[in-house]
Amino acid sequence: MKKILLIAWKDLRLAFRDRAALVLMLAAPFLLTLGLGLVTGRFSSTSNSGLSSIPLILINQDGGELGNALVDVFQSSDLDTLVDPVVQIDATAARAAVDEDQTAAVVIIPAGFTNSIFSATSTPVVPVEVYSNPARPTSSGVVQAIVEGFLSQVELGRINGTVTISQLLEGGYIQPADAASLGREIGQEPAGVNAPVTLSGRTDENTAPPFDVLAYMAPGMALMFLMFTVTNGGRTILQERVSGTLPRLLVDPVRLSQALAGKALGIYLTGVAQMLILIGGTALLFGIRWGHTNAVLVLVLAAVFGALGWGLLLTALARTQSQVANIGSAMMLVFGILGGSFVDIRSFPAWMQTAARITPNAWALDGFLALGLGGGMADVLPSILALIIMGLALFAITVFVFLRRGAFGHR
Amino acid sequence: MQKLVAMLWKETRLRFSSPAEWLFFLILPLVFSVILAGGTGGQDDPRISLLVVDQAHSTLSRQLVQALEDTGTLRPQELEREEAEREFHDRNAVALLVLPPGFTSEAVQAGERFALDLRLLPNNTSALAVQQAVNTAIQQVSGALRTAGRSVQAAERIRPFTDNATRQAYYDAALRAAQQAWDSAPNRLVVRQASTPDEVDYDPQTNSSAGQLITWVFIPLLGISGSFVYERQIGTLRRLLVTPTRKGLYLFATILSNVLIALAQMALLIGFGTLVMNVHWGSSPAALAALLAAAALAAAGIGTAMGAFIKTGGQANGIAIMSGMLMALLGGCWYPIELFPPAIQNASRILPTRWAMEGILNLALRGQGFESVLPHIGVLLGFAVVFFAIGVARFRYE
Amino acid sequence: MAPILEVRQLVKKYGDFEAVKGISFHIDRGEIFSLLGPNGAGKTTTISVLSTLFQPTAGDVLVDGHSVVREPMVVRNRIGVVPQELALYDDLTARENLVFWGQMYGLSGKNLNERVSQVLEEIGLADRAKERIKTFSGGMKRRVNIGVGLLHRPALLFMDEPTVGIDPQSRRAILDSVKELNRQGMSVLYTTHYMEEAQELSDRVGIMDHGELIAIGTQSELTRQVGENDALLLEVVECDDLNRLAAAVQQIPGVAQATTSENTLTVLAPEAEDILAPVITQANALNVKVHSVSIQEPNLEAVFLHLTGRALRD
Repeated sequence: MKKILLIAWKDLRLAFRDRAALVLMLAAPFLLTLGLGLVTGRFSSTSNSGLSSIPLILINQDGGELGNALVDVFQSSDLDTLVDPVVQIDATAARAAVDEDQTAAVVIIPAGFTNSIFSATSTPVVPVEVYSNPARPTSSGVVQAIVEGFLSQVELGRINGTVTISQLLEGGYIQPADAASLGREIGQEPAGVNAPVTLSGRTDENTAPPFDVLAYMAPGMALMFLMFTVTNGGRTILQERVSGTLPRLLVDPVRLSQALAGKALGIYLTGVAQMLILIGGTALLFGIRWGHTNAVLVLVLAAVFGALGWGLLLTALARTQSQVANIGSAMMLVFGILGGSFVDIRSFPAWMQTAARITPNAWALDGFLALGLGGGMADVLPSILALIIMGLALFAITVFVFLRRGAFGHR
Repeated sequence: MQKLVAMLWKETRLRFSSPAEWLFFLILPLVFSVILAGGTGGQDDPRISLLVVDQAHSTLSRQLVQALEDTGTLRPQELEREEAEREFHDRNAVALLVLPPGFTSEAVQAGERFALDLRLLPNNTSALAVQQAVNTAIQQVSGALRTAGRSVQAAERIRPFTDNATRQAYYDAALRAAQQAWDSAPNRLVVRQASTPDEVDYDPQTNSSAGQLITWVFIPLLGISGSFVYERQIGTLRRLLVTPTRKGLYLFATILSNVLIALAQMALLIGFGTLVMNVHWGSSPAALAALLAAAALAAAGIGTAMGAFIKTGGQANGIAIMSGMLMALLGGCWYPIELFPPAIQNASRILPTRWAMEGILNLALRGQGFESVLPHIGVLLGFAVVFFAIGVARFRYE
Repeated sequence: MAPILEVRQLVKKYGDFEAVKGISFHIDRGEIFSLLGPNGAGKTTTISVLSTLFQPTAGDVLVDGHSVVREPMVVRNRIGVVPQELALYDDLTARENLVFWGQMYGLSGKNLNERVSQVLEEIGLADRAKERIKTFSGGMKRRVNIGVGLLHRPALLFMDEPTVGIDPQSRRAILDSVKELNRQGMSVLYTTHYMEEAQELSDRVGIMDHGELIAIGTQSELTRQVGENDALLLEVVECDDLNRLAAAVQQIPGVAQATTSENTLTVLAPEAEDILAPVITQANALNVKVHSVSIQEPNLEAVFLHLTGRALRD
């Protein structure tokens, strides 16, 4: 047992002395988390999505009450941080600005827009135009949504007015002469105030802390580069075989199984250390709340165990160091994307979501998310169990492969 | 010339001597492109699933569910509360909408207000769309109710109703009229994509394919110093330098072969995108080729310059993967650059990935021509010149 | 006829460290010249400058009359280099390696193919030419490594410790092939720290130590420097009386010279067997405990020992 620990300790120290490995073990997940934090606007205090100050151009050719109202909406303090509107006259120049990717969209309110809504007689529809920039789909989508919201309110006002007036007329409550002015009055009542049905837009679980996108990104990246650590660790097993330190270990009164167990334990400890450093570092520097400390710890132990299974299996199957290095990098990236490190796997088709379950990343990420959302040990038990079972199964296969190929694949 | 060809051939042979190289050359970029393009193989419902807990079981709640269905973007799925909570917790749906008991038109008519509970998954790009669509449905369903309510109020203000039955009849008539008016409401919004000659619609596949293309071409080029390190380590570089072959030719051949391999890789990926994923790459193949060649040169230049401080193959590999992914992320290859804070958007102009990505989007999404990407090609070639100069000046033959 | 190689006052510094301290020698056409010296003596640095890999800090080297400083490209066409490490591409076959390097020497077309086939025959790997050399044994790789240096029929071949770390059989084969190449008229500069190799191969030997050429000449010229004396080496258990012992031994009739270094007493005498007993007696008298005793006939090892007071393989 002592020998196993000695080998493990040696490997742990070597792993943290290898500067090339440290780049991928610690620097890469850290910097990518930082980058993703920037994308999602996590570090800007004003808005919690990445979008802010969307540039757009307003062309108000209408000049009527409703056209002006739409301009006011964009200039209102509510939308102050979200959009950055500029009112211009020249529609052609404005369109050119979109074509040149200088702005996200142009909103053109054509002449006669207000009239087309207020006139009692049926007039041709005069639609508002959003000229959107295809290279900024999200920004122009936001602009479009704002205009849609406004038009829907306008429609509500118009229908309010026309229906109410026609009902009043039919019931003989008012004279046709009064209709126009009354209709306009009703139509202009602020529509948003008395809405009977709205969205509350918040959860009813008041106990849950507000979710932090980085609490999703950080474990995603840490787990992806954990796969590097375990496969790189596997590579060192083959390296020792080549450079001859392993045979030397074997000549010493250390049995093969002890040597292997020591190596595996060393990789395991390295992985755990890597995860804990990343968790601690991101918690300190980015203020990420990882949640329930003990549960996080247990989950880390289980996640590294599951990942280690893959690292050892790859080592058992591969013949050369460079195979392990190449396939290991590929495995890291595929597991990363399949396990949800880049995009939420729920947006994948069902078969892909099922396939994702072979990755330790998906299970562990589930667990970290549950904890980040305020869950406790009970919420992560399924993840932990799945990871342990995965690890055990992969260990069993690895041992089988080792035995079949002759101890250590000497041939 | 014969020496150059011999070196190019040797580099290519060495690069593809391991089958694992194909993983990075072709397989991974394709896997990533397909997955990030949404992974919708077409067999699945493209609508976003929305869990609905209907505790009211009223006409109004049914109308709302119908309106949600009618939006076309949502796939409402009615479940009991616990089950819905569990599904949502397991992240099997993007959003959860709860319609509380007593959510009836009668209650609305009586002036009661409802703030519906809509819960959205964090970090999901669909969330904004769901919220928008649910709002539209609510507007439609409740709009008519509001109008009917308004009508009754307006009438009462002039002359009170004699009894409740007349009042209700007036309300019902107004409601019918309002519903009709909503149904026949004209479309008052025209959305036009910026002028593209052949009416290309925004296509997330184009974005992700272009982004992946750049990412995967940059990573091996940034790792170009790996080949220098390799030849230094095994001693072939030293051997080469005592043959009557110029140093510069060796550097040139190594870089050229990596750039050529990158161009071949890009051609394959573009071909795959076009044929399998129906990605539209714009109408100017010449402009695209020039842009991509400039991007490859810029990446190779940076890779060469990195050689000045890289000592082992492992370092070259690790730093290439890390810096490649970082540059791709911050250059807008994974998520559209518009999502970044303005300061970062400006700062990312120092990255070649940003210029390459923007250039491709100009061609592919805007359908613009050669002249629109000339600045991008210029900047990328500038990167190449500067970094090649650094790399060559600081190249260590020993 | 002018020598194939002429080294004039060659100095090579790395920063403040002077790896080669102004050496001069020449190699005649058709000669095998060995540079003998311990690891770190400056042999590889010397070969690197001679083969145009490094510029000399001072001095010059002429290969076939051409300066390595002013006409490196001309020089490179006339020399073949077999480096100490296996500078080959593992993932290419033996033939592909040879073809590639042949092209780097400017060979092409039919000439290239013929030369590659000839060299494959010469190094005995014609039947395995199409296998990747990563499947080869160490000795086979060494042979390919040498083959690369022969492709363009150089007039002068540099071989830098070509026998390091291989089995005795392959070593034998390499030494034989060097002799064969020389028989065909090639001049060879051979570096080694194995005295036996230098002794077996060389017409002349230069002995290097700490960047200096401390002796040069044919083997008999060099061994004559230690006279016709044998060397008697006494390794003693550490003591302070070694110098007193040396002084005493010097008085014994038949002793030519007695020197000390650390725990070794070196006694030179025409017949070592004759003085062995008196030397031991003297040591006992002075209470110096002898650890081991050895006798060396005059050879290059003895020359090195004589010149430096150290054994070659320290």
